[in-house]
Amino acid sequence: MKAPRSGCISTSGVIITLIALLIIGAIGAARGGVLFNPGALNSQAGTQPVGGVVSHAETGGRCSACHTAVWQRDKMSDRCLICHQALVNDPQGFHKVMVAQSWSWDCHNCHTEHNGAQASLTISDLSRFPHDASGYSLIAHQKNPAGVGFTCSDCHGSQIGELDIAICIECHQRINRLYMDDHLVAFGRECLACHDGLDTYGKGFDHNQQAFPLQGEHASVICSQCHVGARKIIDLQNTAVACSACHGNDDPHQARFGQDCGQCHTPGGWEEAAFDHSLADFQLTGTHQSVACDSCHLNAVFQGTPQDCNSCHMADDDHQGRFGQDCAQCHSPDGWEGAAFDHSLATFQLTGAHQTTACDSCHLNGIFQGTPQECSACHADTAFHQGLFGNTCAECHNTNSWLPALFELSHTFPINHGESELNTCRTCHPDSLAVYTCYTCHEHSPDRIESKHREEGISSFQDCTLCHPTGHEEEGGGRGGDDD
Amino acid sequence: MRTRGNRELWLAFTAIVMISLLYGFMVTTLGGIPPAREFFGHSIGVIGFVLMLMTETLYSIRKRSRAARWGRMSSWLDFHIFTGLVGPYLVLLHSSWKFNGLAGIVMLLTVIIVISGFVGRYIYTAVPRSIDGVEVDSDVLIHQISHVENELEGLLAGSPAKTKAVLQRTIASVGDEKDSVSTLFGRTFSDLRFRIEWQRVKSQVSPAVSMQLDRLKVLVQRKRTMERQLSSLAAARRMMALWHTIHIPIGMVLFTAAFIHIVAAVYYATLLR
Repeated sequence: MKAPRSGCISTSGVIITLIALLIIGAIGAARGGVLFNPGALNSQAGTQPVGGVVSHAETGGRCSACHTAVWQRDKMSDRCLICHQALVNDPQGFHKVMVAQSWSWDCHNCHTEHNGAQASLTISDLSRFPHDASGYSLIAHQKNPAGVGFTCSDCHGSQIGELDIAICIECHQRINRLYMDDHLVAFGRECLACHDGLDTYGKGFDHNQQAFPLQGEHASVICSQCHVGARKIIDLQNTAVACSACHGNDDPHQARFGQDCGQCHTPGGWEEAAFDHSLADFQLTGTHQSVACDSCHLNAVFQGTPQDCNSCHMADDDHQGRFGQDCAQCHSPDGWEGAAFDHSLATFQLTGAHQTTACDSCHLNGIFQGTPQECSACHADTAFHQGLFGNTCAECHNTNSWLPALFELSHTFPINHGESELNTCRTCHPDSLAVYTCYTCHEHSPDRIESKHREEGISSFQDCTLCHPTGHEEEGGGRGGDDD
Repeated sequence: MRTRGNRELWLAFTAIVMISLLYGFMVTTLGGIPPAREFFGHSIGVIGFVLMLMTETLYSIRKRSRAARWGRMSSWLDFHIFTGLVGPYLVLLHSSWKFNGLAGIVMLLTVIIVISGFVGRYIYTAVPRSIDGVEVDSDVLIHQISHVENELEGLLAGSPAKTKAVLQRTIASVGDEKDSVSTLFGRTFSDLRFRIEWQRVKSQVSPAVSMQLDRLKVLVQRKRTMERQLSSLAAARRMMALWHTIHIPIGMVLFTAAFIHIVAAVYYATLLR
């Protein structure tokens, strides 16, 4: 038997290894790191030169243009950015976000090289891409309207770092054309200025969680009616919440009540305004409280509404202006009835029974002014007077009552005839002042008077006062004292 | 003297299948070929290289060591073959099927060294060895052949005349090995022809004779193998020496290039910082 003689090193092996080292060294000296090149660099020309070249292939095998050694402080991504700095200048840019997360994300996580002159420089595994960090979450874009999961190219097309907003718009127009068209007109085409993919300002947006909750009629108002010209979130957030900001132009009060519509109105509608009229100069009392606003505030003009009664009641003034314009002198807001006219202010003072007399007893047909003050205007002369006194009622009567009357005119026959204080006109004139009779008091029975006068040979004795002008028996030549 | 089995090949095959399944899982998970620069690709490259380094060194050290004789040589050879297959397979997967530059050359040399290893093993198994893997001299071989022939004679002598005739005719029909290089490299085909012919004869005899043929087959095979080894011993030794002359330099260049590849990888793209 022989002892093993083979080993892992031989003379020929050493020689060939040295030759191999020489060849490797020579190639390295002549071609740089090409020997360690795992594949051809990309030679597709970019849109413009970057770092002095239009493609990676033009670096000419200068490995250190991209690669760093283990002892060097910078890394490959740093060297990428030496040439591609422009990619990260935009703070919201796709690559800026990537660089900001460079603790775990380097360029080579998405980009590759040495895969051939025409190979893609971008590897497609972007499932780990933190899209949220770009400022736009994909939470609301998990599946398209057809229920199929989104791919990067659905939104980004062939350039993953770019977003043509038209793609967003076209897709959403396919979902709801009318809404999108209106939305575009209202808010413009910069979708990302407001939308973050979380539906913060999309489906998940609840306006009632904001400072200005949408209640009543506001809930059905389209966004753009209040957020006029908004193009960014800050525009939406800065939308004025004062009523006048939106309703200034359709304010029927023309700002006469200020800008806080909420003092009277609610979002439930313009009707049912709850204006506290007690705050106004003109207090609503009595029947004024139930009067419709526009009865006084014509044409919805509230400020400057005249407060004099006549302004509203001129048309229905029964007095036709004869009492002036201050109805309150007589009437209260409780109603036209029960007017409290101070007749003492009139030339015709109400005294006596006149104070309790109904107004229309004198003021016929509601005509107050010009009412004649003569007694006869209201009081027809009684037949008893037989027109003897004309319109001089007050010479005998007062306003307390017709009776007793005080007759102080000349009367040939003594009124206190018989020393009586109880004589009245009707004592002697029971039916009319035009005639008198003496038979109502004395026992002047016609038969006896006739008998006595016949005894005296007096045949004409019907007109007593003719012979007895003061009522004394002696005046007629008689014996007197026994005429009873 | 020991007849080699193929256990190490089956173990290597099993390992390769399992590694392939893991690789397939990673391909599915990553959605593509695992790049050499990333964790998985890098890891299998490192492991593969370590196994290849073990392949290159441990068996040789064990052979050359006179002081530390740990384990049987055959076991070290089995380990050498196992790592020599699994390691290169891992390196192949590490390449991510790109063979540019020095890395491509290393991969090419790896493939060559593996093929060379198969050739070497084939030549190696043509040389008779003890159970410890030590070569057996021709004198010992001649003695063992003589011993097997005696056993065959005894077996034939105890058989009925008719059976004996069949057995003798069968032994004659399979023929003897010739002393040539072609015998060295063509033994697989020779063994295959033997098994086919033996089976053909066996199918034509009675069950009793067939049972005797089974016992006889072992002896005949041993005799044929030893005769072939004896006849090709010189040629095998010449080929083994030649193989060493080629295989060792390839291995040295391979590992030199691999080290440079590793240094370059560290320099240019240590974990792709």
